[in-house]
Amino acid sequence: MRNLLFLFVLSLGGLLVPSAVSSDTISERANKLHFSSIVVDTHDDTTQRLLDDKFDLGVRHSDGSIDIPRMREGNLSAIFFSIWISSKVTGPEAVQKALEQINAVREQVRKHPKDLVLATTAAEIRKAHAQNKIAALMGVEGGHMINSDLAVLRRFASLGVRYMTLTHSGNNEWADSSTDKPDHNGLTDFGKDVVREMNRLGVMIDISHVSDKSFYDALEVGKAPLFASHSSCRAICDAPRNMTDQMMKDLAAKGGVVQINYHVGFLSQEFRNAEKLDPKINQAIALQVRQRCGGDGNEGCMLIEGDRITREFVAQGKLPRVDYTKIIEHIDHAVKVAGIDHVGLGSDFDGANMPYGMEDASMLPKITEALLQKGYSEGDVRKILGENTLRVMTDVERVSRELNAEK
Amino acid sequence: MRCLRAVLAAGVLLLTFSPLLTPVHGDDIADRARKLHFSSIVLDTHDDTTQRFFSKTFDLGKRNPDGHIDIPRMREGGMNAIFLSIWIDGRIMGPPAIQKALDQIDAVHENVRRNSKDMVFCRTADDIRRAHKDGKIAALIGVEGGHMIGNDIRMVRIFGDLGVRYMTLSHFYNDEWADSSTDKPAHNGLTDYGKDIVREMNRQGIMVDISHVSDKTFYDALEVSKAPLIASHSSCRAICNHPRDMTDDMIKALAAKGGVIQINYEKSFIDQAYKDASDKLSGGVVAQFDQLKKLCGDDEECLGKKMNETEKQATAEGKLPHVTWERIIDHIDHVVKLVGPDHVGLGSDFDGATMPEGMDDCTHLPKITEALMRKGYSDGDIRKILGGNILRVMAQNEKVAHELQAQ
Repeated sequence: MRNLLFLFVLSLGGLLVPSAVSSDTISERANKLHFSSIVVDTHDDTTQRLLDDKFDLGVRHSDGSIDIPRMREGNLSAIFFSIWISSKVTGPEAVQKALEQINAVREQVRKHPKDLVLATTAAEIRKAHAQNKIAALMGVEGGHMINSDLAVLRRFASLGVRYMTLTHSGNNEWADSSTDKPDHNGLTDFGKDVVREMNRLGVMIDISHVSDKSFYDALEVGKAPLFASHSSCRAICDAPRNMTDQMMKDLAAKGGVVQINYHVGFLSQEFRNAEKLDPKINQAIALQVRQRCGGDGNEGCMLIEGDRITREFVAQGKLPRVDYTKIIEHIDHAVKVAGIDHVGLGSDFDGANMPYGMEDASMLPKITEALLQKGYSEGDVRKILGENTLRVMTDVERVSRELNAEK
Repeated sequence: MRCLRAVLAAGVLLLTFSPLLTPVHGDDIADRARKLHFSSIVLDTHDDTTQRFFSKTFDLGKRNPDGHIDIPRMREGGMNAIFLSIWIDGRIMGPPAIQKALDQIDAVHENVRRNSKDMVFCRTADDIRRAHKDGKIAALIGVEGGHMIGNDIRMVRIFGDLGVRYMTLSHFYNDEWADSSTDKPAHNGLTDYGKDIVREMNRQGIMVDISHVSDKTFYDALEVSKAPLIASHSSCRAICNHPRDMTDDMIKALAAKGGVIQINYEKSFIDQAYKDASDKLSGGVVAQFDQLKKLCGDDEECLGKKMNETEKQATAEGKLPHVTWERIIDHIDHVVKLVGPDHVGLGSDFDGATMPEGMDDCTHLPKITEALMRKGYSDGDIRKILGGNILRVMAQNEKVAHELQAQ
């Protein structure tokens, strides 16, 4: 079923190319450009799958979006593995579960030394690229995992964590989420201390998921550029998880970057409307996910099956079909609003519902080709693929050095 | 050590000048001993100073009027390598134990960072030698009690990644997988999971510390471990019959596999008369401890001070006998006579135990060197006891870890 759809999408993708005459040369150029670029993806939920000892990142899988062979095929050269637990899990248990996931990522790097290397700086990503290795990085998706303890934040950093999303879907003790009722009117004083300590540690401040007020509070307090590890544009799709044009402008003014999320519910207003119009659809999807994954909270299974079942609903006509070109629309919009230096890629692979034609990491070269088709220069495309994120990382590292030198 | 009297610690008792140290004209041993001591790596494998890092009044970088350890006094005593102990009450288990351990690991790293002119964090024997060459104090971490991994073998790897270089398999109470020497046996030594943990420690290069564990746990660990074991802070049961000390048979078995026993200076572990008298008193002391616990709560600083006053008073009233520092030499000499000079070292328990008179803080360490020299020990043998032996065991553990990781 799935493979047939793929073929259909691929052939359709060919038809969509506007100028068929020059497509060969553009596709050749795109190929060269893509495979010589550092392609950074700042948000992948594959970590949930790594918790299953049977999952082998080193072999090609028929499900999900990420494994080493498909990263190689799509030239995904640096990946931020997301450390994520539900924001309902709090206290020391949240700390332990986060450590287990950090350990799982580090173990994968130890298991695949020929393909993966743990990276914590922009320079290490470049070095990995030069050695033809995939740079593995970590981001903690939700401030609840530090259990209001800066010592835990510091030790996450020393274990290699390089960004922290201030909240996940629910508010935590010190920051409001975009998908919860405000408790703190943005960041609490402690929340601001968290941001300052992240600056000192060189841990990037990720404002995906946070409320608009939390974003502005963090922007004011942060001494280094912020970034949105996986958010798209609210002007195209009015989801609270996406950024308004004004937010993107303000983020850019301080040197930050928005990393476009490929989730269909964040890309397409039409999809979002359909979901809203019939809440039973999501309930039905959730029920089927539970049936396939059991009720034991196997998040890896739930995320993968959620994507698969959503696709079945699309195939049945119950939800609209969203194509990968929608990603390009968001990139282009963000570039127009925030500037070419402030947009990147934060797929949400293995944690969201992917659009048609962007089922897994092997399809990433399409983004490069589509941007060239749109008339983007090679330099600009490289920025979007990874250089913008690398610049933010470098800035964050510099601010960290400066703050540590102060005292 | 942290038993009832352990917390007595802290205070400085009046010096009693030993006739051994009385300067005699024409005696060059004192000079030779000083030269030897201050050119040696002096490595203490157990110090509870970490608890003081949480006190607002304590500053590691300055000379403190109480306690046993700070940088100025380490410099004065020529103590240039220290294992700072991560310790919480053995009855705290599960995720809270993990987070509390993390807080202490963080406190060590932060204190080292704040005192980076004098201290450097070390993970290997080579790191320690390098620190010594650079004139810096080497700081290391040992976790005192297997309960702090929250019964989760993955935390062994996380702790290892955070710089932990030994773990004591239990503290005063049995944990989920190892019996303690001061609790009723629950597992008949190590459980199968406990044996897996020992193997994992070997793989991570984390030394297996058998201080505190039951005799059966010791023998189980000795059988399973592929690297030499250490007793980070235990003395000789042949001299003082305390379950926290090692029998001659245990010391022989430890030495036969290349391990080392690091002598603990706690009065009730080194002196039979003191132990007997304090056992007799302990009913009252326990009652008093409970009272103090009510008064001080979890404030280790307060407990330490109050317990110290109690111990001082009992000694002043003649209820506890005087114990002088030469007892430490008796224990070192006993081990050397039993198994030779390659298997004994120093594990003071400073800031966690009641020090014998004349060893009131780490400034008194040169006395040990002089006393051993007067006993006729060679310079080479003294260097082994001061630090060379434990460095050898560390290097051996590192080698085993490399081999196991390569497999």
